[in-house]
Amino acid sequence: MADKTSAAMIQLDRVTKSFGSFQALKGVDLAIERGQKVVVCGPSGSGKSTMIRCINRLEEHDGGRIVVNGIELTTSVKDIDAVRREVGMVFQQFNLFPHLTAAENLMLAPRLVRKIPRKEARELAMHYLERVHIPEQADKYPAQLSGGQQQRVAIARSLCMKPEIMLFDEPTSALDPEMIKEVLDVMVELARDGMTMIVVTHEMGFARSVADVVVFMDNGEIVEQAPPQDFFHQARSERTKAFLSRILTH
Amino acid sequence: MGVVVEWLNAFLWGALVILGVFFVALVLTVVWGLIGATAKLSNSTVARGIANAYTTALRGTPELLVLLIVYFGSAVTLTSLAKFVDPSVKFVHIPPFWAGSFAISLIVGAYATETFRGAFLGVDRGQIEAARSLGLSPFQTLFYVRLPQMWRLALPAFGNHMNSLIKDTALLSVIGVEEIMYTADRATTITNKPFTMYLVVAIIYLAFVSVIIKTVALLEIHANRYLARAR
Amino acid sequence: MNFEISLIWESLPKIAEGAELTVRLHLLSLVFGTVLALGLVLMRISGIAILSWPAFAYIYVFRGTPLLVQVFLIYYGLAQFEFIRASPLWIILREPFWCAIIAFSLNVAAYTAEILRGGIQGVDQGLHEAGRALGLSTSQRFIHVTAPIAIRLSLPAYGNEMISLMKGTALVSLITMYDITGVARTIMARTFAPYEIFISAAIVYLGLTWLIQRAIAHAERRFSRYVRA
Repeated sequence: MADKTSAAMIQLDRVTKSFGSFQALKGVDLAIERGQKVVVCGPSGSGKSTMIRCINRLEEHDGGRIVVNGIELTTSVKDIDAVRREVGMVFQQFNLFPHLTAAENLMLAPRLVRKIPRKEARELAMHYLERVHIPEQADKYPAQLSGGQQQRVAIARSLCMKPEIMLFDEPTSALDPEMIKEVLDVMVELARDGMTMIVVTHEMGFARSVADVVVFMDNGEIVEQAPPQDFFHQARSERTKAFLSRILTH
Repeated sequence: MGVVVEWLNAFLWGALVILGVFFVALVLTVVWGLIGATAKLSNSTVARGIANAYTTALRGTPELLVLLIVYFGSAVTLTSLAKFVDPSVKFVHIPPFWAGSFAISLIVGAYATETFRGAFLGVDRGQIEAARSLGLSPFQTLFYVRLPQMWRLALPAFGNHMNSLIKDTALLSVIGVEEIMYTADRATTITNKPFTMYLVVAIIYLAFVSVIIKTVALLEIHANRYLARAR
Repeated sequence: MNFEISLIWESLPKIAEGAELTVRLHLLSLVFGTVLALGLVLMRISGIAILSWPAFAYIYVFRGTPLLVQVFLIYYGLAQFEFIRASPLWIILREPFWCAIIAFSLNVAAYTAEILRGGIQGVDQGLHEAGRALGLSTSQRFIHVTAPIAIRLSLPAYGNEMISLMKGTALVSLITMYDITGVARTIMARTFAPYEIFISAAIVYLGLTWLIQRAIAHAERRFSRYVRA
């Protein structure tokens, strides 16, 4: 555990976070290098979502340090905005803007934040919609798309900001089973292109084929972190084994 | 009905005055409503306290009384200020048109505060998180993500507020605004046909309200267009 | 400008005297208006065009015109007609008090009918079906299933309507009566201290509003016993 290189893309040191009297994170250490894919799993309420929400400051951590691409997350608004530009986030509930079409959802942030002219933003949007294989849905409103299509639009929306890191917060949990694959396929392609990714998910097939590291969290702590082969076949902690036996049997 | 025709011009002018008051008050109502809702949702105890006092007071006091307080209150204040500068001044007041528009907007603004507050809360929290995670500033998030979604939620109730606005203008002749109640009063003293004249007033208001109801219905269809599912 | 707190204390008792008239106007109009509303809403939802259409028109007209216009039409307007002045009803119709009661009742009826209709529509359709499956007749279903639930659903809006009526009663000061606002305007004409006098009046109204809110909150608790866990 000693060699925490300064080259780490994301570095968490003894990060704590409480909601009232509930301690969601109890001193989490994690180092992720450029291009690494990390899958985070664990029972609900274990702190997985809280951890990645802290990485782009949707939640504010109470203690410890979080450094993203060389920028430490402090209360400085400038730093937070800088980090948010580097980090894309995909939500369980998609959170597409319902009053905007798919293409407009993609164009909004590039136009407002990057100040890109409308025409270029449209081209950028079409480029990423093609990457998630739904350019033909560009002018539909979210309510007119299926769940899988909506989540792919949401992924494309984050990619439009050209982030260096992508965070996924249970991206397939709200989807009907037949739509999960189309979203995972897009994520696998993204991984192949070398994106640094943190994915909170229970899709263990995805973890096996894509992850460099699988992290198991329970009770606000990282219980185990290991490459997929080791993680699935020779987990050290009893808690990990219990969790795996529950999740892999069905 | 012949008598009405003679007074048609006067009624028409009165109706224009009402429209003027309506539009001025409408803009102010939106302003008070947004400020009030923002204050009620803020973390500041003071801001919340002031906003709560505002809505409680303005929703529990008769419209007529608010109008009298605003008009005569401002007149007394302005007069004493003016006397301070020039002792020979007798009476200074805000023109009734503006005092009336202001008073009506204060009243309806209290209701709009509650409507907008509900609409702000009605926009899903995840929308704000998504906007922030894309790097939008709080102001950009408000302007491009929250407001476009909340006006759809606010619209039905706000339609009622607009009807209140237009109907409250009937009080303004009390402070000397020359609107259609004033016209009807003048016409009555000359023709001695009060029922006919106030019936004309009622018809004019009914026309205004009908236009508002129709407009709001069309706006609702427009506002909800993106929610229609394709399948 | 000087703001005299003492003037508020002096004028409050006099203004409170006007409150008696305000409360009488309020309660009488509320009772008459609500009874009328029950008839209106039954007509409105009857599904029989000859009943529902007039009810719709009545509600539309009374909600679509200012209360003050309705008061003036009855108090000043009716005197235009010789046959009304000659009729025995004139004893009532020449009195501002009864004119106000009539106008307020008609107005409250329109708003309340619409509120009740909203409540009735809010009742889950499944309950109707359950009632029908149990063999209850249409009127039995309405009285024993729909009405109790509709009343609970309508209460908050009805409370707002009560407050609205309370504020509306201030208009009688424009037809020569001395309610809270009427008394305040008389004192104001003598002292020309608008803030002190009118704010005193507002305080009395806010007190009455508070009482109404308490009453409604109490009624809501009673009617929603079965909703609480």
